[in-house]
Amino acid sequence: MEPIYVVLVIVIVIWIGVFGYLLSLDRQIKLLKKALEKLEKTGNN
Amino acid sequence: MSYFWKFGIFLWLILVFLAAFLWAPLAEGLGEYTRIIYFHVPTAWLTVVAFLIGAVYSILYLRKRQIKFDMIAEAASQIGLVFCLLATITGSIWAKMSWGSFWNWDPRETSIFILLLVYAAYFALRSAVEQPDRKAALASVYSIFAFITVPFFVFIVPRVYASLHPDPLVNPEGKIHMEGKMLMTFLSSLFGFTLLFFWIFKSKLELIKIKISLKERE
Repeated sequence: MEPIYVVLVIVIVIWIGVFGYLLSLDRQIKLLKKALEKLEKTGNN
Repeated sequence: MSYFWKFGIFLWLILVFLAAFLWAPLAEGLGEYTRIIYFHVPTAWLTVVAFLIGAVYSILYLRKRQIKFDMIAEAASQIGLVFCLLATITGSIWAKMSWGSFWNWDPRETSIFILLLVYAAYFALRSAVEQPDRKAALASVYSIFAFITVPFFVFIVPRVYASLHPDPLVNPEGKIHMEGKMLMTFLSSLFGFTLLFFWIFKSKLELIKIKISLKERE
């Protein structure tokens, strides 16, 4: 494999790892925020 | 973190990517592989930063006994483990292309593998203890001792033993011999990745805040 493609593969692995992790965090935050809102609504009623 | 900052970090990293591939010159002896430095080294750097933050918050927990400090320490260590894994995976891809196999038990590979095991054990310890205060106290003490090994495995071992890992830019004398454009790209990359780390860390802190609010309401 051409060295430049190896470098590209490495960069892609890093970006997929980092942004995949960020996206999973974002999803967790959204889910928990919804759960918190639900709890607050039921608490108010 | 506001969308302005997120967009700024994203843009900065795209500029680093373009500079690494189109602007920065290649180092002698490394050829195209020089460009790996701008992505692989920052992941290793962030591993150290994250584990350091984990150790600092573990000390804070032991001093103040507030569970939020332990949660922050756990979050930082988790991010550190992700970056440590990325550094290991990208390093082994490079090893396959340069040395012919993904894993050679080179001192650099061995030391990062042991570091991965040390921090994997931190999470194993956390999941093995159920009582929250006991878990936090044990994990904090472990995290502090685990961090003591970090400089040893990242900076000392690979320099004490003969390694095939290229070291011409950050050499044993601790001096960075880089051409101006390379150094600028390298420092910009370190800065961009550090900002990215704080983006992830802030998201983790937000997650912790929500978890604490949920616990209080339950």
